[in-house]
Amino acid sequence: MFSHVVRKLLQSIPVVWGVVTAVFILMAVVPGDPARLMAGQRGDPATIERIRHDLGLDLPLTQQYTKFIGELIRGDLGMSYRNNERVASAIKTRFVATIRLTMWAMLLAVAIGLTTGIISASRPNSAFDYGAMFVAVSGVSAPVFWVGLLLLLVFAYNLNWIPGIGAGNGSWKYLVLPAVTLGVRPAAIIARLTRSCMLEVMSQDYIRTARAKGVKEGVVVIKHALKNAMIPVVTIIGTSVSDLLSGAVLTESIFAWPGLGRLAVEALVNRDFPMIRGVVIVMALTFLVANLIVDISYGFFDPRVRYEGER
Amino acid sequence: MKKGLIVLAVIVVLLVGWQMSRSRSAEETAPPATQAAVTPSETPERTAPEAGAPQYGGVLKWHEVANPPKLDVHMATDTTSARVIYCIFENLVTNSLDGQSIVPALAESWSASEDGLTWTFSLRKGVRFHKETEGGKPTENGGREVMASDWKWTFERMIRDKSPRAYFIDCIAGYEDMLEGRADEWSGIKAVDDYTLEFTLKEPFSPFLSVLAYNSFGVVPKEDIEKWGADFNFHPVGTGPFVFEEWVQDQRVTLKKNPEYWGRDENGNQLPYLDGWELVVIPDGTVAWEEFKKGNIDVMRDVPDNLVTDARSLLGDSMLEAPQPGTYYFGFNMQKEPFKSNKALRHAINYAVDRERINDLVLEGLWTPAKGVLPPSMPGYNPDLKGYSYDPERAKQLLEEAGFKDGFETTLQVNQNVRHRAVAEAVQAQVAELGIKLNVQIVDWGVHLDTLDRGETDMYRMGWVVDYLDPDNFLYVNLHSSNFGAKGNYSFYSNPEADKLMEEGRTETDPAKRIEIYQKAEQLIVDDAPWMFLFYYYNNMATQKWVNGATLPAFGNYTARVDNVWLTER
Repeated sequence: MFSHVVRKLLQSIPVVWGVVTAVFILMAVVPGDPARLMAGQRGDPATIERIRHDLGLDLPLTQQYTKFIGELIRGDLGMSYRNNERVASAIKTRFVATIRLTMWAMLLAVAIGLTTGIISASRPNSAFDYGAMFVAVSGVSAPVFWVGLLLLLVFAYNLNWIPGIGAGNGSWKYLVLPAVTLGVRPAAIIARLTRSCMLEVMSQDYIRTARAKGVKEGVVVIKHALKNAMIPVVTIIGTSVSDLLSGAVLTESIFAWPGLGRLAVEALVNRDFPMIRGVVIVMALTFLVANLIVDISYGFFDPRVRYEGER
Repeated sequence: MKKGLIVLAVIVVLLVGWQMSRSRSAEETAPPATQAAVTPSETPERTAPEAGAPQYGGVLKWHEVANPPKLDVHMATDTTSARVIYCIFENLVTNSLDGQSIVPALAESWSASEDGLTWTFSLRKGVRFHKETEGGKPTENGGREVMASDWKWTFERMIRDKSPRAYFIDCIAGYEDMLEGRADEWSGIKAVDDYTLEFTLKEPFSPFLSVLAYNSFGVVPKEDIEKWGADFNFHPVGTGPFVFEEWVQDQRVTLKKNPEYWGRDENGNQLPYLDGWELVVIPDGTVAWEEFKKGNIDVMRDVPDNLVTDARSLLGDSMLEAPQPGTYYFGFNMQKEPFKSNKALRHAINYAVDRERINDLVLEGLWTPAKGVLPPSMPGYNPDLKGYSYDPERAKQLLEEAGFKDGFETTLQVNQNVRHRAVAEAVQAQVAELGIKLNVQIVDWGVHLDTLDRGETDMYRMGWVVDYLDPDNFLYVNLHSSNFGAKGNYSFYSNPEADKLMEEGRTETDPAKRIEIYQKAEQLIVDDAPWMFLFYYYNNMATQKWVNGATLPAFGNYTARVDNVWLTER
């Protein structure tokens, strides 16, 4: 297992390198000059040229690339073009906020999605099943900004139950609405998938055997059926992480949440190359780690899954 | 399965633990939100709370949609940054509330030599740099008095540290020598004595005073800049009514009262009245409006167009509205056919658009249909200008004259924004009635500027809101042939006669004559129609009933004074 994790991590190095190189090339190709943007709507060409020189943007592209990779290897992500903030520290504060948000959203999604899916599958075509699946379809279809605004209007502004926006002083109350908003879609997806996987498993012979042996229905559902239905569900949970990270952009804007999504959008609009690269690296690493966790969890759910080197 | 559940349970426990520890530590360290607002003022000159008389104390919460990118006065180029900068830094001169004149700030008086080449400023005595900052930490300058030599150093620093706005004052002798590193000192700026500052210009430049009121030209203390270098952006120190306290990226900027501020109100009471000022970042306008209604924000600038009616009925007189000195236009590329050599075609399009209708349908009737370049709140605005009104028959006739009887196809490039897209689509529908197929291409701001600089578009959207209240900043910048491309003339418009007038306007010292010159130039430009003149800008500022003394300056809401604002009981 350990060697599997190490090997996976080593394999991710070329992936990250590839992503970073692709972003570097894209930024070089896409029109829009950071120095020009720093000068504002109208800028003096001589001043713009001086800014470009300072940022090293007048160097040949290959030289810019080797300089960037060299710094990256030394762990230096550089400084933001836009406000001289160190990229690493800018990302650190936002990443913590975004991870906090996405983790809670994910947890909510898994808890609600799994429970709903299991109950629906164990009582197929019941009123609960129809009701839950109707809500799930709505959850998948509802745009994040709409859900967010609706929750805000109802719970923060009309009922005055919880604070509306911002991260406040770090209290959990500020996290509730954005986490629910962000979690709605994955919860709906997980619920629907759990239900269909469970239904498929429930019709298998070994479930009938278990029931015939007189095993209690609860045990049949949780122990025999759920475990076998989990592989696709866990896979979806893994890929949902990237959905959540990108969905966070909208949620963060609505709730004025100081996260990575907003930083990324600002950086893109302003062609803040070092910041864009930094954000992409962090996003890519997060995605890789999430997938690694999913990969490892397969072994828990299906003992037949063996990693190389294991017996 | 068991293992899976255990892993899940461990994750849940860790997350809950983390969350709880965060909440607890935050509750321990942060004072309750309301406490800051009711902390009694320590100002000795506390005024008795009588009806109408200003009261000391309180923190004003001001909404902005974005995190300010720059708090270094010399580096900022956007209005959000400028909003904060106006609280921390000060210039030699500033704009009057009505925008019609320049009034003293850190310079008490000034005079220009007869040839317009030498400008002498007498500095206000007793103005001090901030003594403390960021929670009472002493600044490097120690709160010393501002001298003429500080101003000289300030302007030189703008060039040395590559301020994107230094070129605004390239009219000062010795600019190029400084820029190209041939000189260590700016020869055209002289500290005559501690309180007298003298500028020598290369040639007469009448808008000079107006330019000095632009938000980049605030004085900075050498010691603090030398301490922080580029990080001065995160530790700004100036002379203004408020002292920098904290900047939580993407959330808020907090400022505290400068207890040694030189400013006094008309009764001699010390300014500012407020204990503090806080910029609250809320990216979504609708959400910000809800927060305002809840009373969590005291001032909201730029209430979204669709909420203005709501704001008016809720706030009455506290909803401040005014035109902003800016013009919204669609430019024609005068270097490319079909617009290059076809004046009739440019006229036809100008006549084909019903600005009133677009304003009503898309802009909630808030903007003012434009006739020409200079907006109503600008000195030099000409109410008698002959512009274009909606006349489809005339447009049809002109189109035929232009050789496009059956219409033609062209592309309008617009930068990504809900409002710009809506206006573009409305214009698209209106010109379609004449058989013109207008393709609307939406790009992001970076791409927009890039392609405009290179003159690649057929038609483009642009707007101009002044940097300084002088017709020069509109006409010369956007329409003089020496400013092609990035410098502002994106239409690549050139008319030697108009060029000559705009040059004369810069050097003429008689204000009345200048206005006459600019009006002549504007009429020439409007007749040439390098733009489709669309609207004059509008801006607003919603203030709560408990906010007193707030004013909306002609220059724009982001420049509103805060030092003379006070709060009363909610």
